[in-house]
Amino acid sequence: MSSREPRASGYFRSSYDQGLRLIETRMQWTALMLFLAALGTFPFIATSFQLDLACQVFLAAIGSIALMLLTGYAGQVSLGHAGLIAAGAFTAGILFKEFGAAFWITIPAAAVVGALIGLIFGLPSLRLRGLYLAVSTLALHFIVVYLGGEYETKRGFSTGIMIDAPRIGDLLIRDRKIWYFVLLAFAAVSLLISLNLLRSRTGRAWAAIRSHETIAEALGIGVPAHKLLAFVISSSMTAVAGALFAYYRGFVSVEAFSLFLSIQYVAMIIIGGMGSLLGAILGAIFVTLLPYMIEYAVGFLPNARSYAGMLAAFNYAAFGIVMILFLVFEPQGLVGIWRRVQNYFLLWPFKQKPLGGSRK
Amino acid sequence: MAELEIEKLTLRFGGLTVLSGVSFAVDKAELFALIGPNGAGKTSVLNCISGLYPGEGAIRFRGQNISGLSAHHIARLGIARTFQHGELFPHMTVAENLLTGRHARIRTNPLKEMFFSRSVRREEVTHREAVEKIIDFIELERYRNVQVANLPFGIQKIVGFARALAMEPAILLLDEPSAGLNRDEREDLARFILRIKHELGIAMIWIEHDMQMVADLSDRLHVLEYGRSVAEGSPDTVLKDPRVISAYLGRATI
Repeated sequence: MSSREPRASGYFRSSYDQGLRLIETRMQWTALMLFLAALGTFPFIATSFQLDLACQVFLAAIGSIALMLLTGYAGQVSLGHAGLIAAGAFTAGILFKEFGAAFWITIPAAAVVGALIGLIFGLPSLRLRGLYLAVSTLALHFIVVYLGGEYETKRGFSTGIMIDAPRIGDLLIRDRKIWYFVLLAFAAVSLLISLNLLRSRTGRAWAAIRSHETIAEALGIGVPAHKLLAFVISSSMTAVAGALFAYYRGFVSVEAFSLFLSIQYVAMIIIGGMGSLLGAILGAIFVTLLPYMIEYAVGFLPNARSYAGMLAAFNYAAFGIVMILFLVFEPQGLVGIWRRVQNYFLLWPFKQKPLGGSRK
Repeated sequence: MAELEIEKLTLRFGGLTVLSGVSFAVDKAELFALIGPNGAGKTSVLNCISGLYPGEGAIRFRGQNISGLSAHHIARLGIARTFQHGELFPHMTVAENLLTGRHARIRTNPLKEMFFSRSVRREEVTHREAVEKIIDFIELERYRNVQVANLPFGIQKIVGFARALAMEPAILLLDEPSAGLNRDEREDLARFILRIKHELGIAMIWIEHDMQMVADLSDRLHVLEYGRSVAEGSPDTVLKDPRVISAYLGRATI
């Protein structure tokens, strides 16, 4: 919301339509084009390992944007995110294994399955709030993972379901470079859909529900319907991310969807900054890259070899410490830091924003 | 026919009777003040009308019984309200708060919104224009793009008032709109209330503790004490009523 203020000085809006645009000034267009150009050239200069990291970030970003809509905007806490990713992955895996379904069938199917699960597991939100709601969404995680495990053992895929590289028309998506662009496109579409929802009636209704349910109700907002809508849209998007994850890995197995994954997603939106899509993306980048950064840092320690076995433990510990540090010192997350830096340069040589009454 | 008619409204929470047999009717463009000591049940009456509390008895809006309907349904019929503490959405700007007030009037669906189709854009622009009219009416131009959390309390209350007005209601329920306002803001508020009455013809039920304002502005008064009606009528007669004086006003001691 606050990201819609014009940036350039001397820029004045002359129609309401202008205020609705996502990109208003030529400077913003230039910045976007440069950013897209950078994203476009990245796969041609990056190593295969860096490409893999980028793909993982895109997958995580879709999931964290979806969770941000639900938790950061509509205010509904969920710990069932890993379950939804698993649901999407298994939908793709099962449809592929049982019916040989193609990519363009499995992805929409995952979206529909996600939406249905969201509808069902959104129902407790009509009665429960906060921590209680979070516990009820845990059930979702365990049910999906249990069903997935049952399918694997009953059908004799106890080590997991292998999925072939998908195909769009004649294009086989196997090469990392192609994956990079496919996942980038999906992430971009998720972001755009979210931006659009948030700048219109639904987004305002969600924000209203997050701050005051009773007041929202008294303003004529159908609170139950909008809560369920948040669950449906968020779950659908998450399940698509899960299906893409399954294809990207070429492999689905329940082990990949531990409760820790749900916590990682919650961490993404907290570390990134609640109530901000930019925060969701920054959080996804940070949490995805953190283990690699730790591994890299450990490499510099004397006797690096001897720590190799403890790396997993290091990861968990570092993860916990980072979470605590953010909650205590930067509750607004990475996006809070970003805004401060931005303000510093915008206001320079001054320090404070003008007080309320004038333009923000 | 009265705009809003309340008949034998009773509200109980367990063994506690909050309202017992409250009845009154409000006409179009009438400024109807509801007064009484703290805990008399004034806000409870408003909560029953707006569907937040389940009261017994009949509440009729233009002849249609609305008791038992859900709060958002009642709001959509055209009954808007303000809250004692403003209760705005602090992260939104003033304009966004008012747009949220127009929720029920905006005709879009989430599927179209995902792609921000032309019809969504058209609706957003139309309703942004409507919001601007309210901003103009309530003189909030300075603040339209300011985040509500950054506004002083007095302005926030006025914004809450504007948000209720943005719903284009037939009836406006005002829960102590002047509490926490300074003298200038009170004068502005009085002006807005009179303009709403005369220019928009909206019926208002107005809870107020400022007896000077009530005496000057209201068309009729209804006095509550311990959930019961004590008196009703024009300000001149009611404010001199000995029962009202002993229940609420008290005697001036010099």
